[in-house]
Amino acid sequence: MALKESEAIVLRTYPLREADLLVTLFTRMEGKIRGVARSAKKSKRRFGGALEPLTEVRVCYNEREGQDLMRLDSCEVLESPLASEVNYPRAVALAHVAELLDELLPDHEPNDAVFRLALAVLAELRERDIWLPLTYFELWMTRLMGYLPDLSECIVCGHALNGSRAYFHALADGLMCPNDKRLASSELSGESRKLANQMLHAPVESFSELSLQKAPTADLRKYFLQILQRHIEKKLVTAGMLEKIDR
Amino acid sequence: MSKFAEPMARLIDELKKLPGIGSKNAQRLAFHILRSSDEDAEALAGAVRDVKANLRLCSICNNITDGDPCSYCSSPTRNQRLVCVVEEPTNIAAIEKTRHFNGAYHVLHGCISPLHGIGPEQLRIANLMRRVQDGQVDEVILATNPTVEGEATATYLSGQLRRAGLKVTRIAMGIPVGSDIEYTDEVTMLKAMEGRREI
Ligand SMILES: [Zn+2]
Ligand SMILES: [Zn+2]
Repeated sequence: MALKESEAIVLRTYPLREADLLVTLFTRMEGKIRGVARSAKKSKRRFGGALEPLTEVRVCYNEREGQDLMRLDSCEVLESPLASEVNYPRAVALAHVAELLDELLPDHEPNDAVFRLALAVLAELRERDIWLPLTYFELWMTRLMGYLPDLSECIVCGHALNGSRAYFHALADGLMCPNDKRLASSELSGESRKLANQMLHAPVESFSELSLQKAPTADLRKYFLQILQRHIEKKLVTAGMLEKIDR
Repeated sequence: MSKFAEPMARLIDELKKLPGIGSKNAQRLAFHILRSSDEDAEALAGAVRDVKANLRLCSICNNITDGDPCSYCSSPTRNQRLVCVVEEPTNIAAIEKTRHFNGAYHVLHGCISPLHGIGPEQLRIANLMRRVQDGQVDEVILATNPTVEGEATATYLSGQLRRAGLKVTRIAMGIPVGSDIEYTDEVTMLKAMEGRREI
């Protein structure tokens, strides 16, 4: 039984038996793991606020031979979402980040790029409106999971989409030109494709001047979520919640 | 095929649906019930039936009650213009234990929980807003849990209630009485500093 230590992000907790919590964590060292926090529900003394979803922690845990569940020994808060105001849109945004990480990451596979992305986006979600950091996060998750198609050419005829209009469809693997678009396609605007390209080449902090409302990136977000939901083969609960927020 | 006779298997299945009860515990409880006297078994069954037949939600505050309105809402000695909002009916007992709160309550039966698809429109707040809009309330104390979901719920409610021109307060968060500042985590410490008061 070896005691391990890692930086981690708490993704979700579920009540387990009378007083314990089952915790899903995204650790820097070992990727996504599941562990049991004994007595965490009854006695908050040991874990305090450290098991709140999207808390960045330093976690110590025991691996148990032949068992998938770790035993959480201690959890120290490095950065808590509760340190800044939690309004409703921000709570949904945080839950969305947690749901995407939980659904997309395989168990026990470290992924430092995704870990750094998550930390950077969580930092932005403390400071500002949610839509730009969320768009950035969805774009990069699509890219880092290997699902992002080329944004510059039509998947049917191969022609460059520069200057031309581009369309996407829930069942198509990439963008299409006006000649090849399917019935009931949605348009991905030129500005959105330009913003996506900028996002692929700059850290999320560099967009801090750009304050966006929901509408300007709605087409991009719809595109990425269609791709991601097709791969996980289910609807994301938080995607529906975000849709209902107006601004 | 089940290794138990049909009625036993059925009882075990029903007990397993209770929170925190696994197969082993369900079997243990089922055998306990089987061995207990007819009167005890009948009393248990009766109590289960009674709870469903006679308990309902208070139409004013959503508390679980056998008479409507509940004892808090109908008490002439309690200040009905001061309303404390809690997530669960069980939270009321924790506040009553202080013996220092003499207002009324409002029970949400949950909180905003995006990962479970629960948004503001699923919260039971219509009757609270009615009380407020009818001018029956001077102050609302938000006593939801100090978690991300509890905070999101409090922030949302405070926005709605302030629009009605009401005094809205949030319970303080901070260091537990009798503990040591040295062992306090930084979020709790931050909240304690934010919530400091003049003495
Ligand atoms: Zn084409
Ligand atoms: Zn009542």
